[in-house]
Amino acid sequence: MSLRSLLDSVAPPKAEWTGLRRVIARSRGYQAKDGRFEQAYDIADEGCMVEVLYRGQFGYAAVASSNPLALRAAGERALALAASAAERPVFRFGADVRPPTVLRWETPRTGKGFPDAGLLANSLVKLTASMRISEKIVQTAAEATFQDVRTELVSTNGADIGQTSHIVGFGAQAIAREGNVTQRRTLNGPRGRTMQGGFEALDFDALEVEARTAAEQALELLDAPECPSETTTLVLAPDQMMLQIHESVGHPLELDRILGDERNYAGWSFVRLEDIGNLRYGSDLMNIVFDPGVAGELASYGADDIGNPARREYLIKDGILVRALGSLESQARSGKPGVADQRACGWFRAPIDRMANLNLEPGTDSLTEILGSVERGVWMEANRSWSIDDYRNKFQFGCEYGRLIQDGRLTRTVRNPNYRGVSSTFWRNLFKTGDASTFRAFGTPNCGKGEPNQTVNVGHASPVCAFRDVEVFGGQA
Amino acid sequence: MSAKKDLEARFDRACDLLLGRLADDEALSLEYSAEDSVFLRFNRGLVRQIGSVLNAQASFKYYRGGRTLYSAVNLTGSSEEDDARLEAALNHVRVEASLLPEDPYQTLPRAEGTSREEFPGALPDPSRLARDVLEPAGLLTSGGAEFVGLHAQGWVCRGSAASSGARHWFSTQIFATDWSAYAPNGKAVKARYAGRGWDGEEWERRLRAEQARLAVLTQPEKVLAPGAYRVYLAPDALAEFMAFFSWYGLSERSLREGASAWTALREGRRLLSPLFSLTQDFSLGVQPRFNELGETAPETLPLIQSGRLVSTLVSARSARQYEVAPNAAPDSEDLRSPALAPGSLDEAAAAAALGTGLYISNLHYLNWSDFDSARVTGMTRFACVWVEDGRMSSPIKDMRFDESLYALWGCKLEGVTRQRSLVAEVGSYFRRELGGALLPGMLIDGFTFTL
Repeated sequence: MSLRSLLDSVAPPKAEWTGLRRVIARSRGYQAKDGRFEQAYDIADEGCMVEVLYRGQFGYAAVASSNPLALRAAGERALALAASAAERPVFRFGADVRPPTVLRWETPRTGKGFPDAGLLANSLVKLTASMRISEKIVQTAAEATFQDVRTELVSTNGADIGQTSHIVGFGAQAIAREGNVTQRRTLNGPRGRTMQGGFEALDFDALEVEARTAAEQALELLDAPECPSETTTLVLAPDQMMLQIHESVGHPLELDRILGDERNYAGWSFVRLEDIGNLRYGSDLMNIVFDPGVAGELASYGADDIGNPARREYLIKDGILVRALGSLESQARSGKPGVADQRACGWFRAPIDRMANLNLEPGTDSLTEILGSVERGVWMEANRSWSIDDYRNKFQFGCEYGRLIQDGRLTRTVRNPNYRGVSSTFWRNLFKTGDASTFRAFGTPNCGKGEPNQTVNVGHASPVCAFRDVEVFGGQA
Repeated sequence: MSAKKDLEARFDRACDLLLGRLADDEALSLEYSAEDSVFLRFNRGLVRQIGSVLNAQASFKYYRGGRTLYSAVNLTGSSEEDDARLEAALNHVRVEASLLPEDPYQTLPRAEGTSREEFPGALPDPSRLARDVLEPAGLLTSGGAEFVGLHAQGWVCRGSAASSGARHWFSTQIFATDWSAYAPNGKAVKARYAGRGWDGEEWERRLRAEQARLAVLTQPEKVLAPGAYRVYLAPDALAEFMAFFSWYGLSERSLREGASAWTALREGRRLLSPLFSLTQDFSLGVQPRFNELGETAPETLPLIQSGRLVSTLVSARSARQYEVAPNAAPDSEDLRSPALAPGSLDEAAAAAALGTGLYISNLHYLNWSDFDSARVTGMTRFACVWVEDGRMSSPIKDMRFDESLYALWGCKLEGVTRQRSLVAEVGSYFRRELGGALLPGMLIDGFTFTL
């Protein structure tokens, strides 16, 4: 039964506005370890959320069903809850924060349908076997994941949205051990290669070559010295810039966080409402865009989960904060401009302000030019550890692989490269951004936030970047 | 039909259909998770979002001819619709599993035990929730504090069944109010009220108890330099460390694969303090003992005794792969229901025993920073206070720590309190979680702050 035909029977007469959002998701994954098959999963998840507006208060009820009777009961439940809370709203909303958008959107892809499960599993088995290049490699693993998510939204004021995301992910890792030293190397972090697209994204011949390189680097790290402890120039590869942008730009700019909604769980922000439009966030080279239209990036979409059409917007321009990550509810509450980012992880959670695709624009320097400008420093790639305070200021990150930079060139490999800093200082020390040749997009499906909790997909693209005066350090014996 | 009866009926239906239609050469284990929840999210003492979630998910592992496939569907409560979904899922896995390579360590379900535990509760009427939870917070907000958090309540159900005969059911009607109160200077206290019987007077008493803590936080903030400090870790702060026994933790598989940070403990190269003992303890009564294969874990399983590793978490699959004895760990080999042994330090005397140093109420965003040395980094958060000569003095500017757990619970562990607190699990990614940890407070000498 179509959602539009359900809506009329579901909408409680006393509600000022009713919305019905259905999410149908199918997720499949295949994993191999050490040249043998490990596990596979095939999971279906489907349900609906009825949302109503009553005296300015939204209420919701989610059920794992599209049955008219179940949805009608859900509508009444949502109304009762909204009514019970209507005396104490943090803000009285109008239906204008639920626009009547009509839209159809789907991930562009060439590899439609689904590859043969046996072929896929055997490719992973072969790949993990090929990574076992030394007896010092104690474990190899590889995983391929696929997800199709269909989201439909209709409302009593005319919204009619249908969006389908096709997501594919690949990961591989090698763990090497010698004596008491263990090192792990992956392809751009554990789940960094999660993207939108079809199975055309999986070229197993090319992936096998990359995976063997990861195994070689894991062995290399065993013999490498610890990253030195000093304050120096830090050059980050795009697969670590992903985490840097995520933790110290994305989260602090979530408008609902700035408004205090997350203070009990994920935290607050060092950014204040009055900073929007004038805060010097980073150097002149820092240009951050919210961009939902990048083909293949993990969090591309046509409209967010409250029906706000998604558009590309600058958040930080020439280092100045111009806009925060907040959709129509947060914009109404704060009076500040925002973006279409109110998203839910599925049918069973209410949408809240989230990151989506958040990208640092490339500059003009090639990798050679960036390295050539550094007399002494450290290169780091692939995140393995992340921690930041509840205001999104004091952070510490660890990477899998590092190399010294000496007189403009990459030299010795170093292991356990870590760095720490303060967001507001760190970004002002950005002095080089790579050109388009260094620019790469990554994604993670594990961005967690909200009460009750939820994880969503996010994408981050960045060039290679160089920062001055960063405290770096290695592991301990 | 009541919500709980409806959710149990869905489980029964899934068992009957999935287990009842297996051929002789097929096996299956079923894990069931369901909830009928109401969520009240609040900020500034007012309602941010309010809603409900009614969900039931049947996850199952299908086994045939050396091949295994994991699948899941959610159940609507309509018999006709659920039968169709379950049948389609079973037929689908039959086809898909036949395409897969053989699983060399396939472990068929063997458990036969049954159990049924049900814990009804007395919860606030959802139609009065906003009033019952938020109105008493006026005790704090009238003083200028802002009240933020989440109240979640309702039935949480878990089930497990297997073609070998196992069948388990666990349901509990619980609430959890997880909240913090922010003073105008940005400092905050955090607390949690959770259980099966909501008591409005108890709720007010707990709110009132935080007024004194908030008062200390309005003092001028003390800025500390990086360095080593004496600290007291309160149970809520210690609770943040429990995840590190699951994540690259005491899993037998992780240790064998080189993916655990506890390798040195396993190999005897490092020990923890004799004051440190960790047990998986289901007598806490906060979560069921069965796993997804219908196996029942021992009521208590010592993992670390007086600083030495005595057991790891071993699933049926790891037992087969590594030829060791299983202890009914779930396939994830995550730690459930942890309890740390008490010590001899009286909690009331902890501040005096600390002398001059930091009282750490809560920690935030912990992560491994170096696996080989089991080093963890994180931040102080909420009501962490400088203690001067045994007296709570002033709040501190938040600090980052970076410390090896071998040192934290080794040479730096000075004392453990006699009294312990049950810190309830309130996580809700994908579903409301069950569980909790029974934890003391700990006195540490030389805790390393880096930023």
